Amino acid sequence: MATIASRALESPDPEEEELDTEITSIRAEIQNLQKRKRILTSSLLTTDPIQKLLRKQPKPQSTTTNPTDPLTTISPLVHAAGAHTSSNHHRIAFGATAFPFKDPSPTAPTTPLLGVRIDVCARNGRFAKPYYILLQSERSRAPNAGSGSTKLLKVYRHTVPAFISIAKLENAYLPRPSAKRDNANEDGDEDFSAEDEAEPAKPWKSGNRTQKQDLRGFVRELRRELVAWHMRVNAVEFLREKLGFVSEGGGSFPFDVSPDRDTGIVSLAAVSLETRYVRVEWVDGRVGRFKLSNVGVVERAVVIGDEGRDKKLEDAMTGDGGRVETVLDRLRVDVLFRSQQP
Amino acid sequence: MARPKTVRAPTTASLPNNLRIPSSTPSLTKSLGKLSRQALLDLALTWLDDHNITSFPPYLQADEADSPDNDEALPYPAGETIEEVRRVYEDMQDRKGAKREVLERILEGDWRHGITLRQLAMADLRYMDDHPASLRWTALELSPVGENCKNSKRLPSDDWSSSVPRMQAATFVQGLQREISPLVKAHYHLAHSATLPLTFLRIFVVDSPYQSPKQTVEIFTDSSRVIYIAFPDSCPYVYTSIAASTGPKSAPLTSSVATDTRTLQRLVRDSIPKALSRPQQRFSLQATSLAAKNLPTLLALRGPGRSTASNGAFSIFADAAIEGSPLDPRPSNTVSSEEHIQASYCGPAEGKESTNGSAIKRRSGVSDTGPLSSGSKKRRLAIQSRFGTLESSLAPAPLDRLDIRLLDKPGFSGEDDGDFHDSTSTLPAVSLTFSGSDVIGGIRKLAELGIVNPERMPSWMTGEEGISVATVRRGQRLQRDM
Repeated sequence: MATIASRALESPDPEEEELDTEITSIRAEIQNLQKRKRILTSSLLTTDPIQKLLRKQPKPQSTTTNPTDPLTTISPLVHAAGAHTSSNHHRIAFGATAFPFKDPSPTAPTTPLLGVRIDVCARNGRFAKPYYILLQSERSRAPNAGSGSTKLLKVYRHTVPAFISIAKLENAYLPRPSAKRDNANEDGDEDFSAEDEAEPAKPWKSGNRTQKQDLRGFVRELRRELVAWHMRVNAVEFLREKLGFVSEGGGSFPFDVSPDRDTGIVSLAAVSLETRYVRVEWVDGRVGRFKLSNVGVVERAVVIGDEGRDKKLEDAMTGDGGRVETVLDRLRVDVLFRSQQP
Repeated sequence: MARPKTVRAPTTASLPNNLRIPSSTPSLTKSLGKLSRQALLDLALTWLDDHNITSFPPYLQADEADSPDNDEALPYPAGETIEEVRRVYEDMQDRKGAKREVLERILEGDWRHGITLRQLAMADLRYMDDHPASLRWTALELSPVGENCKNSKRLPSDDWSSSVPRMQAATFVQGLQREISPLVKAHYHLAHSATLPLTFLRIFVVDSPYQSPKQTVEIFTDSSRVIYIAFPDSCPYVYTSIAASTGPKSAPLTSSVATDTRTLQRLVRDSIPKALSRPQQRFSLQATSLAAKNLPTLLALRGPGRSTASNGAFSIFADAAIEGSPLDPRPSNTVSSEEHIQASYCGPAEGKESTNGSAIKRRSGVSDTGPLSSGSKKRRLAIQSRFGTLESSLAPAPLDRLDIRLLDKPGFSGEDDGDFHDSTSTLPAVSLTFSGSDVIGGIRKLAELGIVNPERMPSWMTGEEGISVATVRRGQRLQRDM
C-alpha cells in the first residue's frame, strides 16, 4: 500500500500537472499586465499635458469641495506624480540629489542625517542602482576661522564600493580639525609639511589653512569616480560584445568561445571588479594585460608570448590615442600586418 | 615511496609542490575523506587534465616496471595510458556509488606513489568551496602607513581608487617567501575560489629548514599547520583563518618557541603586510572587529560590495530598496521594496549582487501578511526600519558570535533582560556574548515576538555596525577600542 501511495505522490495526474503549469503561467501574466498597467497609469499622470490640465481645472472649484468630484479625489495622486517626476528630472539631469534621513536608532543624535544620492547612467540607457552617502553633521566647538561654531560634516554610512577610497576623499574635501588633532602623532606633522610644499593649483588646497569643508567638491569627485568605474565596466562589456563573447541573454557562454577571426583573441575580461586592468588572451597563447584610465584610454599594456614581450601589440594597444573603444580595430591582424610591411 | 638519498642541507626555498606524502598515511585518508564523492571525482579529473598532467602524473604500468617491489595483491591494476585512467573516473562520474570507492581508487590505485602537497592543497581548497563555513575567519583591513596623507594630496585628483594594493599573486608569494623563509619552511598554494570572489592562499608551515623534512608524515595533514589567507577582489581587506592575536599574548608555551604552531602562524601573519608593501607604499594590517564562520558574511560586511558600510537600518540603501531608478514613473512610495530590489538595474552592480547571493534571496518571507492588530503592525514597521531589508531569515550575513562589552552602569539600558546571559562582576562593565547560527537574525526574531523592544534597542543589536566584537557606551560603539 505504501509503495502505491508514494508512487501516486510522485507522479500526479499529467492533466492536473498541465493545468497547474497553465495556472501559474496565467498568474504570472496577470501580474505582468498589472505591473504594466501601473506603469502606464503613472506615466500618463506625469505627462505634461495631463498635469497642466488637472492642475488648472480644480482650482476654482476646490473651495466648494465636492467629494464625488473625480478631480478632487485624483488631485493628491497628481501632486505626488508631479513631485516624483520633478525629483526624477533632478536625478537624471544633475546625477546627485540630497535628502534628509532620520536614523531610527534611539541613541543617534536628533539632527537628521544628510543623504546624498548619486545616479549613474549606464551604457544601455538604464540607470545603475543609486549610490548613497549619509553624512552626519556635528558642531565644531573649535574656534577656527573666527566663525564660532561651524557645522562640520562627516561620512557616516555609504554604499560606495570599497575600492573607491571614501576615507581619502573625506580627508581631502571634508577635513575636520578635531580629527586631525586626534591623530596628529601619526600623520599630522607630515600633513603640514605636505601642505607647505604643495602647489596652489589643487582645488582643495585653496584655503587649506582654514580647513574649509567642500561638500560639492566631495560629491563631484566621488561621482566622477563612480562614473569612471561604470564607464570602464561598460567599455569592457562593449569590447566583449564586439568580440562575440556575450550571449544574447547578456551572460557569457558556458562553453569555450571560438576565437575572434580578425584579432585572434580568445578571451577578454576585467581582472577584478574594479575593472582597472583587463586581461586578454590570444589563440596562439599570448597573454596580455592593459590598464584602463578613468577617461577611457589604454594607459599601459603588456603582452607576453612564447618569445617574450610582444612590443608591436603593446604599441598598437596604447598608440593612436589609445581609446579603449577602438582597441580591437588596432589589434586586427591585417592592420598589424600591413603596418609591418612598409 | 623511498626518498632519494641526497645531501640534506638547509635551504630557504619553499617546500616543493611535488613533495609526495605516502598514500598509506592514515591521516591522508581522513583529510581527503572529508570531501564528497563528486568533489573527489572532480579533483581526480582536474589532476588528469592536460594542463596538470605533468604536475600530478598517475601511477601507470610504465612506473610499475621501475619499482621492484610491486606486489600483485593491490586491488587496482595500474592503467596503461592516461586516457585509460581518465576514463575510469569519467565512468565513475556517470554511475552512482560510494565515496569510499573513489577515495580508495585514488589512494591505492592511481596515486599509490603518493599525494603531492599541491594535490592536498587543492583538495583542501575544494573542501573550502563546498563548505564556506568550515573555518572561522577574521577580517583585517589593509591600511597605508604614514604616507597616507602626503600621498593623497600629491596624487592627481582622479586617483581616488588606489587604496587597494595591486596584488600580483606570484609576486606576493615571492615577497612572503622572502619574509618568512628564514624562520619557517612553507608550502604555498594560490587559487581563485570557484564560488566566491576571493583568492585563497593556503600556506602550510613546518619549522624544518630542510627541503624534505624528516618529521613524521602525519605533519603534512596537520590542519593546525595550515593557514588560509583570502584576498577578496578589489577591496582593501584580507581575511585570515588565524585567530586574532589579541588575547593569548600571555604565557608563551614552555615548549621550544619556534616549533609552536601558534608562533609560526603569527610569523606568517606579521609578514603579510610586509609582502604586500613596496617602496613608498607601505601597508599595515588592522583589526576590523569582525570574525565570523562564514565567508559570505565577511564578503557582505567587509567586501567590495555596497553593503560594506551600510547595514542594519541602512541596508535599505545598500539594497536600493526605497527608491527606484530615475526612469521609473511610479512614485516610490507606491512600489514595494521587493520590487525596488528586483528592479532591473543594470551595470556592474548587478553582477556584484549575484555574487553576494541573489538580492531577492536577501529578502525573505518576513511579510507573512495576516490580520494584524495596530500594535503589531506598528512593531513590524519599527522592526523594518531598524533592521532594514537585511537580516531576514535567509540573511546572507549570519554572525555566529557577537561579543559586546557595555561600559555603562548596569541598569542604564532597559534591554538587559532577555534570554542572553550576562556575567556581571564587581566591575560595572557588562559583557554580553551571543552565539548561534545567526545572531542578528535571532535578535530580529525576538523583536518580532515582542521580547525585544525594536524602538529602544541600541543600534549594535541590529547589526548596523557590521562587527562581531565591540565596546559600547551609551548605545554608541567606541571606535578606539577595536
